[in-house]
Amino acid sequence: MSNKRFIQSLFRVMKREVDSLVHAPIYWFSMIVFPLFVIFFFSELMNEGLPTDMPVGVVDLDNSTTSRKLLRNYDAFQQSHIVAHYSDVNQARRAMQKCEIYAFMYIPQNMERDLLASRQPKISFYYNNSVLLAGSLIYKEMRAISTLGAASVGSAKLQAKGLTQRQIKSVLQPIATDVHAIDNPMLNYNIALSTTIIPACLALFVLLVTAYSLGIELKKNRAKTWMTMAENKVMIALAGKFIPQTVIFTLVVWFYQYWLFVHLDFPHNCNFLLIMIVGLILVVAAQCFAIFVFSLLPTLRMSMSICALWGVLSFSISGFTYPVTSMSPSLQILSNLFPMRHYYMIYQMNILHGYSLHYSWMYIVALLVFMMLPLFMLSRLKKIFYKYVYLP
Amino acid sequence: MIKIFLNELRRIFSDSGVLIFFIVVPLLYPALYSWLYNNEVVREVPTVVVDDSKSSLSRELIRRLNATPDLNVAAYEENIDEARQHIMRQEARGIVYIPSSFAADIHSHRQTTVSLYVDMSSMLYYKSLLTSLTNVTLDMGSDISVAMLNSQTAREEQIAASPLSYEAVPMFNPGGGYGCFLIPAVLMLVIHQTLILGIGLASGTAREKNSGRKLVLREDAPFGIARIILGKTLCYFMVYFVMACYITMAIPRIFNFIQLADFWQIIAILVPFMLATIFFALALSCLMQQREHVMLIIIFTSVPLLFISGIPWPVSSLGASFKAISYIFPSTFGINAFVKVNSMGASLGDIVFELRALWIQVAVYFLLALYVWKPKRWTQE
Repeated sequence: MSNKRFIQSLFRVMKREVDSLVHAPIYWFSMIVFPLFVIFFFSELMNEGLPTDMPVGVVDLDNSTTSRKLLRNYDAFQQSHIVAHYSDVNQARRAMQKCEIYAFMYIPQNMERDLLASRQPKISFYYNNSVLLAGSLIYKEMRAISTLGAASVGSAKLQAKGLTQRQIKSVLQPIATDVHAIDNPMLNYNIALSTTIIPACLALFVLLVTAYSLGIELKKNRAKTWMTMAENKVMIALAGKFIPQTVIFTLVVWFYQYWLFVHLDFPHNCNFLLIMIVGLILVVAAQCFAIFVFSLLPTLRMSMSICALWGVLSFSISGFTYPVTSMSPSLQILSNLFPMRHYYMIYQMNILHGYSLHYSWMYIVALLVFMMLPLFMLSRLKKIFYKYVYLP
Repeated sequence: MIKIFLNELRRIFSDSGVLIFFIVVPLLYPALYSWLYNNEVVREVPTVVVDDSKSSLSRELIRRLNATPDLNVAAYEENIDEARQHIMRQEARGIVYIPSSFAADIHSHRQTTVSLYVDMSSMLYYKSLLTSLTNVTLDMGSDISVAMLNSQTAREEQIAASPLSYEAVPMFNPGGGYGCFLIPAVLMLVIHQTLILGIGLASGTAREKNSGRKLVLREDAPFGIARIILGKTLCYFMVYFVMACYITMAIPRIFNFIQLADFWQIIAILVPFMLATIFFALALSCLMQQREHVMLIIIFTSVPLLFISGIPWPVSSLGASFKAISYIFPSTFGINAFVKVNSMGASLGDIVFELRALWIQVAVYFLLALYVWKPKRWTQE
């Protein structure tokens, strides 16, 4: 086949694909509308970065100047907001079970008197760990306020003993800590989650749409005309079919990257060109993975089901939230079969932290391997397109 | 109605696509997720220590750090740059830096500072390392101040160092486990999503087979739309009830997640939750032109739905519009009711709001399904 005919048939197939994309609303939705929705949804959902003013309660049995001052100072903290006072622990616990509050602080009777008399009173905080994020953030603030409270009482006493400010500091907290959260100093959850959940959603769409658009050819009995148009060359048929989709999906991914890293100014320590290339590689790797799945299970519903399984599991097994290193060893190995896992490693190493590619080359190679998968399946795919009939 | 019920039953079991979502996925997904998170917590995070002090006090600090369950000293390095190499190679997640003045500061009653650098690729590494370091430095600090104060009695020393003590009581999930926190919500979401997928697939098939791409055929019409919907609902409900019981009762037991709810409490949640979801799915069926469309439309919603349920991200920080969206879906109330009863030990009286919302959804979506399924063009044909 001459080059000219080759190009001509490629363009014919591409034109055919563009036509069918434009005329089926489901493609508009799952390639453009839903992905954009997901991008705005997550970046807007967590735009505060950290939850603020979470409702907490108080059981203040002391009700003294000291306890009120403590609570006033506590209420000024950013993440907690005192919404209710309860007369006993049971009431507060019930409010917590109804999720009206995420935590409560219990101040015992005679706290002030015990403090003055050096009887070391004890205040307690109860926090809801079933809502893990809220619980642990509020716990941190409650601990901070009681350390501060203790410090103010303690420093008054130590001053009376004749210690200097510097000595007081060293008595109250001899070893201070100074924490640097590398590249996400504000512990911004939007930075941690939007940068991982959104691309995982986009990859899910790529997987599903790829499997769907292959399967629908069989279902609608169009595979043979498609192959004829491609001069019976599977490579041309696949390339012509998927190049338009690659273009659309890559543009969507680039828009996502623009929106987060440029518009919202999320931390990135690398060249924007590298970010764009990684985006392109993710799209193509996901497409090729879906083509591979389809060639193994050439029915619409099975290939879509497997792609859905892969796409949805990616959210967990890639280690965005619960790290892969803490999963069981067999799952750690299994995680390598998910394109998203490799994207995530490249994202956090090269884009977020800006390490050189020298550290992450194996993940890039892994994505390239995913891109090669359909090449091993060409003859099988050809058979499928000629022989298989759709079974509902 | 019985006939519709039997027909639908036959259809479900002859359609392997529907069976995937009604049987295979509900059996596998919850088990898979539970397995993923079964280790619950992040332990022994590998950490590099840069000890510029090289004193007995700094070695004591390192020894105590290494003794905590969450931190593991993986390597020692001479400077921060070399320590960073370990992080770049993903061999370590944090660096503890002890300054050269560490011991001297403590001996001369000056506050000293230990630095921690954490790789932020996962918030859980941060949490583990920060907790370990804070606890160890506070403990060691109070030992030091007691020795320093030189007071009359041990008790007096202790009180001078911390005049106000506190205790923190984590409730409902005392270990702070990730699985115990996330899995109950995921379980309800799996029920919600697979029901919608299975029903959407079944209705899509009906629409493809029936002439004129209608949901209901004229031959079935004499039964009345309400009876058709109820017949189908009964069928889905019966098949799925078994799966729902497996998901909500067997899975937590198998994987040792918290389970405070008893059988009848779970039933009281499941019944309105499943009915609302079935009617919701039947009403949604009008959108599905092809049977596979339901997968393109529904699957991606799983993660947004989980987020607006208020479990991963506190509901008090959801904007009003997100809250409004979340009220459309049965999953929001189902997840909250189940988590409150099952993980937090609430009684049915505590979740009246959720139960009421679910029953309202049952009514609304039943009427909506009736409206959607009513063929508009019978009179014209």
